[in-house]
Amino acid sequence: MQTTFKSSKWLPYLLLSPSVIIVFIFFIIPSAESLFYSFYRLNITGTRKLFVGFENFTRLFADPEYIDSLIRSFLFAVIVVFGGLAISLGIAVIANNKSKFFNVYRTLLIWPYALSPAITGMIWALMLNPKIGVVSNLLYNVFGVSFNYMTNSTHAMIFIIVAAIWKMLGYNIIFFLSGLQMVPKELLEAATIDGASSWKRFTRIMLPLISPTTFFLIVMNTLYAFFQQFGLLHVVTEGGPGRATDLLVYKLYRDGFISMNTGYASAQSIILLLIVVSITFIQFRTGKKKVFYGN
Amino acid sequence: MKKVLFVCILLVTACMLFAGAVAEEEGDYTLPDNVKAEGTVTFWHAMSGSKTAIIDNYAKEFMEMHPEITIEPVYCGSYAETVTKGLAAIKAGKPPVLLQSYEVGTQTMLDSGAIIPVYKLNKGEFDFSTITSPIAKYYSVNGNLYSMPFNSSTAMLYYNKDMFKAAGLDPENPPTTFDEVYEDSMKIMEAGLASGGISFGWPAWIFEQMHAYHNTYYANNENGRNGQRASELLFNEPLGVKIMTEWQRWAKDGVLSYGGRNYKANDPFIAGEFPMLIQSTSSLAGIINSADFEVGTAELPCIPGYEKGNSVIGGASLWLLKGHSDEVNAAAWKFLQYLSEEENAVAWHKKTGYFPVNKNAYDTLMAEGWFDTDPRFRTAFDQILGGSDSTAAQGVRLGNFVEIRDIVSVAIENIVVNMTDPKTTLDEAKVKCDQVLSDYLSTVE
Repeated sequence: MQTTFKSSKWLPYLLLSPSVIIVFIFFIIPSAESLFYSFYRLNITGTRKLFVGFENFTRLFADPEYIDSLIRSFLFAVIVVFGGLAISLGIAVIANNKSKFFNVYRTLLIWPYALSPAITGMIWALMLNPKIGVVSNLLYNVFGVSFNYMTNSTHAMIFIIVAAIWKMLGYNIIFFLSGLQMVPKELLEAATIDGASSWKRFTRIMLPLISPTTFFLIVMNTLYAFFQQFGLLHVVTEGGPGRATDLLVYKLYRDGFISMNTGYASAQSIILLLIVVSITFIQFRTGKKKVFYGN
Repeated sequence: MKKVLFVCILLVTACMLFAGAVAEEEGDYTLPDNVKAEGTVTFWHAMSGSKTAIIDNYAKEFMEMHPEITIEPVYCGSYAETVTKGLAAIKAGKPPVLLQSYEVGTQTMLDSGAIIPVYKLNKGEFDFSTITSPIAKYYSVNGNLYSMPFNSSTAMLYYNKDMFKAAGLDPENPPTTFDEVYEDSMKIMEAGLASGGISFGWPAWIFEQMHAYHNTYYANNENGRNGQRASELLFNEPLGVKIMTEWQRWAKDGVLSYGGRNYKANDPFIAGEFPMLIQSTSSLAGIINSADFEVGTAELPCIPGYEKGNSVIGGASLWLLKGHSDEVNAAAWKFLQYLSEEENAVAWHKKTGYFPVNKNAYDTLMAEGWFDTDPRFRTAFDQILGGSDSTAAQGVRLGNFVEIRDIVSVAIENIVVNMTDPKTTLDEAKVKCDQVLSDYLSTVE
């Protein structure tokens, strides 16, 4: 039987083909098309095209709105990735203490991840509604803060950061939990006997041992922060007030699908792609030195 | 690495060839004589809530009368979403037969090369002069109607009569000028009755309204209506600056409460936070139903010293798209005529507050005593039928209007919220808008 498999040199290709086809149809072809359109200016039905070279790109970087959106998106990503991971790790460590209801907690904690970004937006919009929201009323009555994400730019930004972090919390916690479970008990016990404090045990043993998980989550969260905010933004702020929550993905949507500026939006998508590719690349380069995969 | 590069280049070339093949011929269409109207007419619209049911009902009634025709109304989300879906379908070669587009999409639809002007379908069975004149003018090019008006509205002033009374003002004598708006607001605010004086729905649209209302061009080439497309915005001229300076003064003194870009200002008005609201006439039924005070309506306030123009038509119209058989086109044309029939127009107005597109509907409503039972529904008619029909008053037609309105909205927010200098802000916005127009023109001319 083994020989039949060996003889077919096409078998590996055959087995790979489904994923290759999917990658081609949903990634390579659309990206190539975007790249192509980014050098053109099109009318709305795409029937007339005008070659403009790099003008779409040069204009982007001369557009203060785009630069603002770029800075805003990076700020958003940094806060969401590191804030989100810190909170999740904290919760995971607490949940990892063998308790009776461990399985119940674990199930409850992953719930937010099962929601679509739009639903997340609706839930938070309801809680933070300036007039009838539970949380906004609490903020007003307890701290005297009148929270209004509809008219206040800073509040709007805080809103989407909080909602975005909350949405990803479950996913992060589950990965951290499974990472923490893999840390050998003997190591921790040995450290305790040697007199290491719980903080020392955490920073010197747990953190290095879960570094592959952390690294994986940083990559995933970065992609999440850059690419998956559309639903949330569209439901809650629509990029407003003014341009206060106009992240790169939303500006792209506005230019491409509302203003029908296909060429300009394609150029933005290419830049967004380059940004994420380079961030991931840098992460893998630094990851090699910092991440411990064991042996 | 070389191989990868090679594959990429190959792919890009393939895409170029593919995209090249999509470009289609633009040609004139005429409906052949004596075509049997039959088949399925897909109708993509943006009428949400109770309006969806009204449209479904129209389709049902029409199909009972014409069993050989099937009308398939599909609710596609907001106006922007509906137009986007329609355009995507056109690109994919599977357009709906009828597509509803909002007024700002008019120039874009005209230039899309994907439409059949409705006047070309008419073999004399339909009298276009029955369509309410300012509405017909809005959707006409060189006197020919290109899309069928369906839901049309304009802007007017809503005010809280109870608050006017309480402040010692005459509730039957609402402000007619900008100065009176300011003075009345101050009186009401000083009496401690409200925290603000006035707010707007769709601020950029109101800004456009104000130009037409003062018979002043918003863009060159007579608002893009003299046979040439507009290539330059004119909103940074003295009238525009004057309006913005006034609005900013109002905002500084707390008279103007900025209420967001669409209908968000309705709620605080209903809640009594300010006594006046400039909003689309299509909100009338909704506001009357939700407010627990007596709602008054009045014509838009003006700045004295300008010629009177007219308020502009908003709302949407129905476009017939290319790519279907003559039979289906004929069927769609029948349905469009049915929608503009007098009794349907009357019913539509009563249920929604939108204008009836049929001129005769106005007389019918008068005869029925509809305006006597609620004269507030009449304000919009008086305003729009009493105005001028100059090109300045007909409202502006711009390519990529959506983006231009967005730029103006941001400028207005900067002026009334962040208190930037009106003239400078408008000048900057004009430069941006002109760039959008020149980009647009480069792809159509």
